[in-house]
Amino acid sequence: MDMRSDILNLMKNRGDLYRFLSKVYIKEMDPAFLDSMKAMSFPNISLESDLEEGFKELKEYLDNMSKDAVDDLAADYAKTFLSAGISNGSAAFPYESVYTSKDRLVMQEAWADVREIYASYGLSKGNVNSDVLEDHIALELEFMALLCKKSAEDIDEIKLLRSQSDFLDNHLLNWVPDFCKDVEEYAETKFYKAIAKITKGFLKLDRQILDKVIDIVIEKNGSRCYSLSTDRMDQILKQLKKNYRVYAPKRFEKRGPKGDSDLVRYAEIDSVKDIVLDVQSDFSPKEIYYPISQTMIYFENSHSSESILKEEKDIIIFARPCDINGIESLDKIFLENGGYADIYYKRLRDKVKFFMIECKEGFEDCFCVSMGSNKTDNYSVAVRLGEDNILVEVKDVEFFSLFRDEKSADFTPMFVESNKKVVKLPKIESDEDLKKAYGLEFWKNYDEKCIGCGGCCTVCGTCSCFDTVDVIYSDTSTDGERKRVWSSCMLDTFTLTAGGKRFRETNGENMRFRTLHKVYDFKKRFGTDRHMCVGCGRCDMRCPQDISFSDTINTFSEEMEL
Amino acid sequence: MKNVMIPKPHEITHVIKHTKAEYTFRVACDDETKHGQFYMLSIPKIGEAPISVSGKGDGYLEFTIRKVGRLTEGVFGLDVGDTIFMRGPYGNSFPVEDFENKHLVVITGGTGMAPVKTMLDYFSENQDKIKSLHLISGFRDLDCVLFTDEIDKYKCDFNVICSLDNMEAPGFHKGLVTEHIKKIHFDTFDEYSVVVVGPPLMMHFTTKELLANGVDESRIWVSIERKMHCAVGKCGHCKINDTYVCLEGPIFNYTDAKDLID
Ligand SMILES: Cc1cc2nc3c(=O)[nH]c(=O)nc-3n(C[C@H](O)[C@H](O)[C@H](O)COP(=O)(O)OP(=O)(O)OC[C@H]3O[C@@H](n4cnc5c(N)ncnc54)[C@H](O)[C@@H]3O)c2cc1C
Ligand code: SF4
Ligand code: SF4
Ligand code: FES
Repeated sequence: MDMRSDILNLMKNRGDLYRFLSKVYIKEMDPAFLDSMKAMSFPNISLESDLEEGFKELKEYLDNMSKDAVDDLAADYAKTFLSAGISNGSAAFPYESVYTSKDRLVMQEAWADVREIYASYGLSKGNVNSDVLEDHIALELEFMALLCKKSAEDIDEIKLLRSQSDFLDNHLLNWVPDFCKDVEEYAETKFYKAIAKITKGFLKLDRQILDKVIDIVIEKNGSRCYSLSTDRMDQILKQLKKNYRVYAPKRFEKRGPKGDSDLVRYAEIDSVKDIVLDVQSDFSPKEIYYPISQTMIYFENSHSSESILKEEKDIIIFARPCDINGIESLDKIFLENGGYADIYYKRLRDKVKFFMIECKEGFEDCFCVSMGSNKTDNYSVAVRLGEDNILVEVKDVEFFSLFRDEKSADFTPMFVESNKKVVKLPKIESDEDLKKAYGLEFWKNYDEKCIGCGGCCTVCGTCSCFDTVDVIYSDTSTDGERKRVWSSCMLDTFTLTAGGKRFRETNGENMRFRTLHKVYDFKKRFGTDRHMCVGCGRCDMRCPQDISFSDTINTFSEEMEL
Repeated sequence: MKNVMIPKPHEITHVIKHTKAEYTFRVACDDETKHGQFYMLSIPKIGEAPISVSGKGDGYLEFTIRKVGRLTEGVFGLDVGDTIFMRGPYGNSFPVEDFENKHLVVITGGTGMAPVKTMLDYFSENQDKIKSLHLISGFRDLDCVLFTDEIDKYKCDFNVICSLDNMEAPGFHKGLVTEHIKKIHFDTFDEYSVVVVGPPLMMHFTTKELLANGVDESRIWVSIERKMHCAVGKCGHCKINDTYVCLEGPIFNYTDAKDLID
């Protein structure tokens, strides 16, 4: 058997077991169902102990069943699941909401949640023709059976597999294990005790199976390459835009930082023709996931609340390898440094997927090769954007179905192999070297030359520093907010404390600080193989004083060797 | 996921006015803190600032604040019963276990007393845990003196040298703290540590003087201040070399502190 039919079979078997269990829970056993059960052969599975025992006990029950079994089971069903005839009302109520709400009530959050999930598949209770609530175990199991069936129809659809594991995690596994424990306690017949064991064991096993299958499908599919027209790509873009905000470097005429040149910055695009390829963008993409100014906390009278991210769509960014590598620096600072993860960064960052723009040549100020940031495999899709033909490599299963019907093609993205600018990194190997680096006279060259405008940090995709500021909406208002806004170590206020003390007093010292952070401190602190500069060249393009960062690093390195 | 930037409201229960520009605020709070840690105190719509814990007790923490700018001025406008917002505690702490059963010399300048005060209180209550404690506290003049009651108490417990930079007054020595260092007979101590906290210049000259008096670098501990906008390693303001003062500090052994070049 090949893998495909293996998986198909598996989906069918899983679905059958879910449906079987659903039928057992939905109402009392009817004689026909019970009879058919006797004829069933149960798998002899030794993967999961509860499941194995459950099957064994069920078989024992069915083999030794008395004539009155149907009546016994009906009575047990009523007692166990409906609490009939029990004075204190303790029973295994088969509703998720009872198990997950504080006061054990029906129709709470979990109920509303599963209704919504069913609705997103166009399902409602009407489909099953039953009077139980939507979060009844039978309906949740039936829903899983349905997803299994869908998966059997399209085994490449990872999303379907993921929604199954999500539904298990967020719902069934959240309560059914406890519920089964109750069934084992309250039920009197071996039948329901065995069913509870089977249910508990199967859900646990199925969760593991799903992870395996997802891995296999991902691996099987590998990456896929296609060739398509620009128009076709735009159609796909339109599709994407339903669920994603799609950003790329875009041209804004006569809005440039220097005179009346154009400004190229990241913005949402409507067509791949909007993507600017002939120059490096003036700004990095970081403003998409780390906005220039971001509200952290709202204050209303004496009440404070976390700002809410209104954005529901995920984010796709068309970016070059340098910028994709650059996000690693922000990740280190915002998600790892000090063991604190920053929620404001994380909630946007988690949405981001990269479509890598193939970059073979680089631009005038680039030195990505020297910084080792010219290559990456951290992308969902890679694109070679030609005049009217586009080559794509799709790595992320999320996008498989979108490109599935395109013409297959051979495409391996290429990377810049050499830049005009070559940068030699300083050799700092001991405390003495570091002291020497701090003491170099050469930094003083920047005391006057640099005007401390901070522009270099603004355009940089790896710079992460910010100020927090409180604002009040108006003089008479009781409402306001705490924001954070980009800052720069090149500003004279960066280390300024109350009373006028500046810990770094000159622009030259600031330049020394920035340079060392970029090509020494960061790497040392995080032990990564990447520096906090990806050689995108934007700071050189931006500097009003024509200070070149690549030249700065080179001169610094030379000075260190003197 | 926990949002580390959200401060929590706490009630101010006492305000102790030391000088015109230095008040201690007692705040209802059950947090466990270690000696030398700090909080980000804030007032919504005004701002946030790092302030050391200067005292603690059952159900409360104290903060001794010097009025210098936006937030601190705002705090001075608060009174008993008002609410202040806090998040923390942050930062490392003095290695008190290391100091125990040895001699300890504490040298402070002005509000530099605040971050060491809970430790002084601890040793004052647990005198058997320390061989001897010598406190040199400097203030600019009589109007700047803080913690008079506490210092009177310390005078019973420790060897206390209180000094005014440029003024003579009963009960005070005259001169900068550096001038009193030679009064400590380090050579008679078998094992000891020295803690120095104060304004940057004071710390610079004090450590220099200590070294000149034969104190080994590794025995000196300092608590340093830098601009801070987050206290959780994100904003970048407090970074020196590859060190974040809010995370690895504010307390450093001098062997490390001396290499911190802003
Ligand atoms: C670890 C640590 C502990 C401290 N403990 C105390 C204490 O116990 N008592 C006390 O009076 N002061 C203490 N300070 C100093 C205190 O934080 C500043 O005086 C205060 O931030 C000034 O804020 P402001 O808004 O009133 O002044 P502004 O000048 O209006 O400050 C503007 C912003 O700059 C920042 N800032 C300015 N000065 C400093 C500074 N020196 N340190 C850090 N950030 C600064 C603040 O984030 C503030 O929001 C401590 C500083 C640090 C770093
Ligand atoms: S420092 Fe300059 S060259 Fe390096 S990543 Fe930042 S903007 Fe690009
Ligand atoms: S290096 Fe150039 S861009 Fe950066 S702060 Fe100095 S003058 Fe501004
Ligand atoms: S205070 Fe923000 S990084 Fe330390």
